[in-house]
Amino acid sequence: MTDAIYPQVRIVSERLLNPETVERLLNLIMEEEGIRRVLLNGPRLPSSVPYGPSKGIVNPHDMRKTIKVGEQEVELQVHVGTILLELENRDVIPALRVACDQVFTQFAYRIQEGRYMKTAPTTSDYAKYGPDADALILGLADPSSKKGPVILQGIK
Amino acid sequence: MAYKAQYGPGSSIIAANRRKYMDPSEKLEKVRDVSDEDLVLILGHRAPGSAYKTAHPPLAEQQEPACPIRKIVTPTDGAKAGDRIRYIQFADSMFNAPCHPYLRSYLEMYKFRGIDPGTLSGRQILECRERDMEKYSKELVNTVLFDPARTGIRGCTVHGHSLRLAEDGMMFDMLQRCVLDKKSGIVKYVKDQVGVPLDKEVKVGKPMDEKWLKAHSGIFHSLVGVAFRDDAEYVEYVQRVHSLRTKYGFMPKE
Repeated sequence: MTDAIYPQVRIVSERLLNPETVERLLNLIMEEEGIRRVLLNGPRLPSSVPYGPSKGIVNPHDMRKTIKVGEQEVELQVHVGTILLELENRDVIPALRVACDQVFTQFAYRIQEGRYMKTAPTTSDYAKYGPDADALILGLADPSSKKGPVILQGIK
Repeated sequence: MAYKAQYGPGSSIIAANRRKYMDPSEKLEKVRDVSDEDLVLILGHRAPGSAYKTAHPPLAEQQEPACPIRKIVTPTDGAKAGDRIRYIQFADSMFNAPCHPYLRSYLEMYKFRGIDPGTLSGRQILECRERDMEKYSKELVNTVLFDPARTGIRGCTVHGHSLRLAEDGMMFDMLQRCVLDKKSGIVKYVKDQVGVPLDKEVKVGKPMDEKWLKAHSGIFHSLVGVAFRDDAEYVEYVQRVHSLRTKYGFMPKE
């Protein structure tokens, strides 16, 4: 379970973000020390059509790309609209604001503080990870997905 | 006293647009020209130029029972020919799209014949005989009711109405049926309405600018357009309807 002492923030932009914008923003954010976990939220972009008359055919989409954060490649599976962050402490927030100011020049954004990440495993998490799940990965990846969260190397 | 249809209350530009779109005597302003062939491609029900498939023989060739209603009602062209029922479905962004699902159903009932509209919160489907549907679709796509960026022709996977727009101003579409060409600024349909890739791109024109959208929108929006609360006449009307229908639930005796 997530330790309640770590502050969480979310960055909400006025528009859904292009992969290039997400890449730029994440690279700026990752330069800062004191970020524990990051979660990219938004409507899902599946690689094939999941239902309907054209079920099963490939679904090319400009917003589903692989971006590079630091040295690590991250495959986007959503059209990013909200970025959730868990921080070591609140001192990082001004730096986040500076990074956002640099990237969001065409439209507005907002940084909000609150509790945004899962604090307890759901039934799906239990089915996927079992009773001794690592609390750090809870909520960071879709439990029904075969892929887990990406671990960014060399940040600390 | 002769009854004169008012179509809707309100003193805002949104209310005026709604009345204008619903009024069958008002001709909708034409703003683009998508050809018949292109529209048939987007709809994806038949190959362009192919014959209409039928659900029954033409009315002239079959014996009809003696029915006074059949004598009164003139069948539409599609019904006369025995066409099968097909559909077109629209998703409208709540960010100042020119039309919205409820308004679509209202105006279609005023303007078109032989239709079965289905209204949902973020999408609206119009079902009718195939050739009638193509005729009506042309009017819905080529006039002010359509904006290439904020309105989507989506037979399935319609999600996008209530989502934020993309950076380029397009409404979210999981299947990305239409894309904005950055060089020309024109929106092109690259898939048909159910997401099957098209052999040829269909251009539907440039997205309208914010000023035009605000002047032609049929949706209230407190952040990007006209707030519903700012239209006192509309609020009063809605509250009156709500009050009366609630009281009627208790069967008031006057």
